[in-house]
Amino acid sequence: MERKFVCIICPNSCQIKVEYENKTIKKIIGAQCPKGEAFVKNEIANPLRVFVGSVKVTNGNFKLVSVKTPIPIPKKYLKHIGKLTHSLEVEAPVAIGQTIALNLLNEKIDLVATRKVNKIIN
Amino acid sequence: MLKEKEVIIIGGGAAGLAAAVACQEKGIEDILIIERNAYLGGILNQCIHDGFGLEKFNSSLSGPEYAQKYIDQVKEKKIPFLLDSMVIDLSTQKEVTVINRQGLQHYRAKVIILAMGCRERTRGAISIPGTRPAGIYTAGVAQELINLKNYMVGQKIVILGSGDIGMIMARRLTLEGAEVVLVAEKLPYSSGLPRNINQCLYDFDIPLLLNHTVIDIKGNGRLSEVTLAEVGKRGGIIPKSKRKVACDTLLLSVGLIPENELSRQAGIVLSLITAGPEVDERGQTNVPGIFACGNVLQVHDIVDNVSLEAEYITEGILDYLQGRISESQEIKMTLGAGLRYVVPQKIFTIKDTIFSFRVNQPGKKKTLVFEEDQKLIKKKYFPRVNPAEMLRVKLSSSELKDINKLKVKLV
Ligand SMILES: Cc1cc2nc3c(=O)[nH]c(=O)nc-3n(C[C@H](O)[C@H](O)[C@H](O)COP(=O)(O)OP(=O)(O)OC[C@H]3O[C@@H](n4cnc5c(N)ncnc54)[C@H](O)[C@@H]3O)c2cc1C
Ligand code: SF4
Repeated sequence: MERKFVCIICPNSCQIKVEYENKTIKKIIGAQCPKGEAFVKNEIANPLRVFVGSVKVTNGNFKLVSVKTPIPIPKKYLKHIGKLTHSLEVEAPVAIGQTIALNLLNEKIDLVATRKVNKIIN
Repeated sequence: MLKEKEVIIIGGGAAGLAAAVACQEKGIEDILIIERNAYLGGILNQCIHDGFGLEKFNSSLSGPEYAQKYIDQVKEKKIPFLLDSMVIDLSTQKEVTVINRQGLQHYRAKVIILAMGCRERTRGAISIPGTRPAGIYTAGVAQELINLKNYMVGQKIVILGSGDIGMIMARRLTLEGAEVVLVAEKLPYSSGLPRNINQCLYDFDIPLLLNHTVIDIKGNGRLSEVTLAEVGKRGGIIPKSKRKVACDTLLLSVGLIPENELSRQAGIVLSLITAGPEVDERGQTNVPGIFACGNVLQVHDIVDNVSLEAEYITEGILDYLQGRISESQEIKMTLGAGLRYVVPQKIFTIKDTIFSFRVNQPGKKKTLVFEEDQKLIKKKYFPRVNPAEMLRVKLSSSELKDINKLKVKLV
């Protein structure tokens, strides 16, 4: 089978053409770096994406803390995780890298904070 | 009372922060950053998606994480900054008027760095006919509302314009549970990065309709429907292609314009193409001692380049403060085929110089050529070029030596 991919790993957005059979790549052209091939392998087998979203914060100088999955997760879970973030809430202060949720959907999907939120004292 | 400063930086976004840190590292002590928001970091605060910092930090950070790296350095180095403080006037004499809770304040600086970023084009600027219901936002405002204010803009969304912000919002809104019906783009190609078409639209089966635009807007109180039409080869609407699309929200992602009201007040000459100041090889405007970097100079797609540009202009700032800039003959720059613009627009002294470009249209296997008359100075090959991606090329002082004029073109 032949398919074209646009690599999303960096802004170069390489257009990669692959020939493959049963998930084994026979020929690959267009990737400017080795990350492109790894990306295409995943796209064929099980596409992975980093989830980003936000979670409510109480008593913070921002109303929301932005979060991401520390590693890319299967694409099919993105929408589920989006829904779940609506029911989460954390208390300020929040540090970058702080764990906000663990093992969501029982699929070892974690969320970490990507914004520093200070506590406000009323 | 007029307070004197060595360097005043207007705007505390990616550009202002990187410029402040680089100035301090070059030994400039008396710096002040002035920011109108309640926080530093600028637009990065609302860009919670990842993909920032691949070049500078070799990792894929979110906007707030990228900003925090610089905010931490500003705080560590004890560089003074004012928040909730808006610069309302800038003069050719480099006097700055600031308004904040303490009232009006007046400063004068030896060097001003313009780092005010850009703002979005609005519907007014592109004038769609129809009623004026609620539910129409620019993509960046929607991004701010959703990511900073915790306010959801709508449930059934049409996006006009395929800029990166619009596509990133398409994904964000989908993950927040809204339905993004389609993205319409007037041009035959997207104005955003191909990776965003892939990961923001195709991942969620959101159609991207090229050569399409919104020609009418309807709604009583709230938006209820837009009329979509195909744009023909000559730019006119194809009448039989008209169709109505139900939606409660329209996002406009139709481009960014550098925010240069202050620059105009100071008598700074702006480029008609970039809408930013015309600058020389040091990033200096026509007003000596006023420099510009980041989105106020030219709209950037990658924040790493904003930081690099800000660091780069501080070399020239140090030269200026130490009286090392001597007037010399201008090297005339001219723009040849295939390019929309080049920054800097002028060169006065020979030094290692970084040139930034945007191309007119997407292309493959292109070479950027620098020449004086017919003599080749430098060339650089690009497997692919895209108007959405800024190109940067450095020419060394030895390559620029003994040149009287410089032409750049894409072949
Ligand atoms: C939505 C969006 C998505 C992006 N996505 C990516 C991406 O995925 N990857 C990537 O690398 N790059 C991305 N970029 C590009 C990059 O993030 C920006 O180009 C960069 O952050 C701009 O920095 P700046 O400092 O020039 O402008 P800004 O961040 O806009 O900073 C300007 C600052 O000046 C302040 N200011 C303006 N006028 C005044 C005044 N009169 N007085 C006081 N303060 C003032 C503003 O409040 C603001 O804080 C994106 C940009 C946008 C807008
Ligand atoms: S293949 Fe490498 S260079 Fe090309 S987009 Fe992917 S990561 Fe970037």
